Amino acid sequence: MSERTQTISKSWTIVSYILLILFTLITILPVVWMLYSSFKPMGEIMLHPLRLPAAPTWENYQKAFKYGNLIVSFLNSVFYSGVSTFSTVLLALAAGFALTKFGYKSSGVYFGIFTLGLLITVNSVITPLFIMETSVGLYNTRLGVILPYIAFGLPMAVLLSTGYIRGVPDALIEAAVIDGASYIQIFWKIVLIVSTPVLATMAILNFLGNWNEFLMVFTLTSGENMRSLPVSINSFAGRLNEDYGLQFAALVVGTIPMFILYLVAHESVIKGFGEGALKE
Amino acid sequence: MPRLNKRSSYYVLLLPALLIYLAIIIFPIFMSLGLSFTEWRRFRMTGFIGLQNYVDILSDPVFHRSLWNNIQIMLISVLGQIPLGILLAYLLHRKWVKGTKFFEFMIFLPITISSVVIALLWNRVFSPVGIYTTFVRMITANPDYVVKIFESETYAMLPVLVVLLWQHTSLYMVIFLANLQRIPSSVFEAAVIDGAKESTIITKIVLPALSPVIFTCSVLAISGSLKSFDLVYAMTAGGPVNYTYVMALYLYQHTFTFHNYGKGSAVSIIIVILSVGLISLVRGIYAKAQKKFE
Repeated sequence: MSERTQTISKSWTIVSYILLILFTLITILPVVWMLYSSFKPMGEIMLHPLRLPAAPTWENYQKAFKYGNLIVSFLNSVFYSGVSTFSTVLLALAAGFALTKFGYKSSGVYFGIFTLGLLITVNSVITPLFIMETSVGLYNTRLGVILPYIAFGLPMAVLLSTGYIRGVPDALIEAAVIDGASYIQIFWKIVLIVSTPVLATMAILNFLGNWNEFLMVFTLTSGENMRSLPVSINSFAGRLNEDYGLQFAALVVGTIPMFILYLVAHESVIKGFGEGALKE
Repeated sequence: MPRLNKRSSYYVLLLPALLIYLAIIIFPIFMSLGLSFTEWRRFRMTGFIGLQNYVDILSDPVFHRSLWNNIQIMLISVLGQIPLGILLAYLLHRKWVKGTKFFEFMIFLPITISSVVIALLWNRVFSPVGIYTTFVRMITANPDYVVKIFESETYAMLPVLVVLLWQHTSLYMVIFLANLQRIPSSVFEAAVIDGAKESTIITKIVLPALSPVIFTCSVLAISGSLKSFDLVYAMTAGGPVNYTYVMALYLYQHTFTFHNYGKGSAVSIIIVILSVGLISLVRGIYAKAQKKFE
């Protein structure tokens, strides 16, 4: 490297550090502030908004759990996200196998119909969905939340699974057919196993998306015992709540579960988002 | 269980996904279209009124404001989040700094937080006891400073736009970073040895290589900004007055507050038409730009 390029890259290093540190601080400071403020009583927050808690207390959390219905909402969130993610992934892999390894001409049409769904957002169907669910008795039921969650997860999941399964060698499946395995057996015993990497990506993207989903639970349920965490937090700690300490505690409760997932699996999460959008 | 032949197996594998998808996404789109021509009073359909709902909506000043606010969100997404995402990804990719994994981890963190939590947290940040307010008080030495911008008819959207930039930029950063890693590192090394300026590397190597991804991200950003609801609802609920109304909020109000399913559906259809139109426009621009590069 010449001297000139060395000085240039040195100044780029400085610029990079400044920009990246600045961005990291802007990202992290509000979150850190939320975390420690949740251990401060209301009065202290008003007097010294930025100071660390003088005498950290769990009181805000005790109240939040007592009045905020947070445990039921947490369990609902686990149930909604878990069941729908599991179903979306399984159904999308089955469809992906059918669309890529059977060689039927109709496959292209079905695939096209699925990808169309990428452009359709929840609010373009929420009115009819509400009417449909009310008329068949699915409104304000857990199934009435899970079914739309599965459906809205499918377009992206089918796109990812077909992209992946297409790359699985045909010979693997032909050999199993010659050995006398049925296609359903092949799906359970071969396709599911070799698809583990894409399965993980699909599961993470889906779970995170469903966990943070708001509009469908908000409009398709009404009972407090049907609410998910984001909806409960909004009604309990929403804009009109004047007890800031309590509000901070509720926000932290809403943040912690996915933060733990991120801490444990951040490489897969980042990879999933990075690659999820690669497949056009 | 009897052994299935090939064609039956095909349908057993395909149909569960296809039927759920058709019933919950495709069928309602057509139902929406049908409903949008109907009139509703007190939870009841009272008749077919042709395009009247559309006429009402398109001449409603509240809808105009909602549309304009959605356009602002779209501009901040396409012209703010995406370029910033490219810049951050590039800085990380060139490895001029140590701890790139750390920065990536930290900057991507907001993606895991729900929009509701983000909205309420930032309301606190801008509140009289918030970080932002306290900080401004410190540098301006004005202990009575409060954020008034929410009340301004012209700038009420500004806090929402800032938060959106904060919330989503990292998503594009991660997508661009994953794609930059596909460019062979020898390309960068050769350019540096040839004495190419950074600006040349960016315009001649990075942007052309990323152009298909920039296109995909623009599509994501457009359809994402037309649907924005959660953040705005939790942060301002459209207020004060209707200064921060967006189309999805307008839809929500007509369907779930007034139970006017006809008008709500018409808003849905308008959103779909806008989204398809804008995406086709971007596709056209992209095709033209590609021709120019070749």
